[in-house]
Amino acid sequence: MRRTHHFLFAFLLSAILFTPAPAQKLNGNATAAAKSAANAPLKLTLPVKEGSVKFAVIGDTGSGSEKQRNVGDMMVKYHALFPFEFVLMMGDNMYGGEAPQDFEKKFAEPYKALLDQKVKFYATLGNHDQALQTNYENFNMNGKEYYRFTKGKIAFYSLNSNYMDKKQVQWLEDQLGRETAEWKVMFFHHPPYSSAKKHGSDGQLREVVEPIFLKYGVDVVLSGHDHVYERIKPQKGIYYFVSGAGGQLRTGDVDKESGITEKSYDRDMHFMLFEVVGDEMYFQAISRTGETIDSGVIKRK
Amino acid sequence: MKKRYIFIWLLVCLLILASGVAVGQKTQNAALSEPVVVSPADKAAIDAFEKQVKDYIELRNKVRANVPKLSKDSTPEQIQAYRTALELSLRNARPNAKRGEFFLPATADFIRRTLKTEFQGKDRKELREQIFETETQGVVLRVNYPYAQTAELSEMPATLLTKLPQLPKELRYRFVGRNMLLVDRESDVIIDIMPDALP
Repeated sequence: MRRTHHFLFAFLLSAILFTPAPAQKLNGNATAAAKSAANAPLKLTLPVKEGSVKFAVIGDTGSGSEKQRNVGDMMVKYHALFPFEFVLMMGDNMYGGEAPQDFEKKFAEPYKALLDQKVKFYATLGNHDQALQTNYENFNMNGKEYYRFTKGKIAFYSLNSNYMDKKQVQWLEDQLGRETAEWKVMFFHHPPYSSAKKHGSDGQLREVVEPIFLKYGVDVVLSGHDHVYERIKPQKGIYYFVSGAGGQLRTGDVDKESGITEKSYDRDMHFMLFEVVGDEMYFQAISRTGETIDSGVIKRK
Repeated sequence: MKKRYIFIWLLVCLLILASGVAVGQKTQNAALSEPVVVSPADKAAIDAFEKQVKDYIELRNKVRANVPKLSKDSTPEQIQAYRTALELSLRNARPNAKRGEFFLPATADFIRRTLKTEFQGKDRKELREQIFETETQGVVLRVNYPYAQTAELSEMPATLLTKLPQLPKELRYRFVGRNMLLVDRESDVIIDIMPDALP
């Protein structure tokens, strides 16, 4: 075992916190749920240490729906408690068209309050995203379909899992070969491991990238595509998360019998918060209505 | 007798070691491996394809020089203006563009065989399903016209991309049902179409 994990406390905490109120069920309309969310007490399980790296994760957001805005609003509330500096986007940033009004409705409006507070968004491309999103000022992709940036002692790699060609594979190998950051975090759209029934694990992608991740000691892999939340049991020492319900949802899509799930949630949309303190990465998954649906800590070795 | 045991023991150790090395090599190099068999005829077909692609890029560069530049931190309006201008300019630059211009018969034959090899076997069943499930309604398969912006893009299998002729960053392969397209990455203009490419 390359890493150890301490989720027991997190499980207990989640079990205590996770008591969905009737108004939070999906049967109600979005406005009612949003009102209920407005009254829900916010609970943070992260340490909120000074000098730590704080970020959020959202995936499959670009629907422009009211529920996407609810998630955005909840992120703003948590930002007041936990001032995350940036947000990683797992792709499908824009569904069904990319005219200027789509950028507004499906991105700029739902996250306006965060953008106004100078929170940076780093996007990756999904299977609904056009190539030129790489040049959008608010996605910070610098014109590139795959790129790397660092924050503190963490190197983040955004990959284009739609088109993992030889050039990209070679770039990834080259970059990781000379990587000096302590933490290596990958984020891209298609999940190498997933228990969702709609798409599930992307085996052919995994066939290509997993050996590289193992070879260079990647710590955490974040993806979307399946419109659910799932924390996968560590696979060969790597932690995988599926966070693909920031603006779309497939209720009941997680196959509970897959055997690879550590924790899942497919009843409402969600976002995630992360905090890295030295060799510990804390995480908390939060539903659209403010419930903590999962939390824990990953220890780096 | 003792010598025989030592010999057998050494042989077993050697076999285990050899299999370990083989597995290790497969794991590390699978992504970058070359196609298994490329005959001289295939090589000629790939060369011809690459020449066509190179000519296209030269033409594209000329066209792009006359299109407003797109910065790395553009507004949605600038992105739309650039995309539209590039699309129209590319179409005007290739007024006689037609199906089969890049996927010549020999090239198409090589690619079809590569696809057949890649998509055979039980473990590739899901791969086919994934491509066929891609929501491509609204896509009109017409050379020199753009792929519908509202349609989903099929994920190109990573294992396949390592085996197809490599493309410059300006071009992409893409599936629509059983058809394979060659697409301009930025404008999404369809450059060529190979019908029924998937087995």
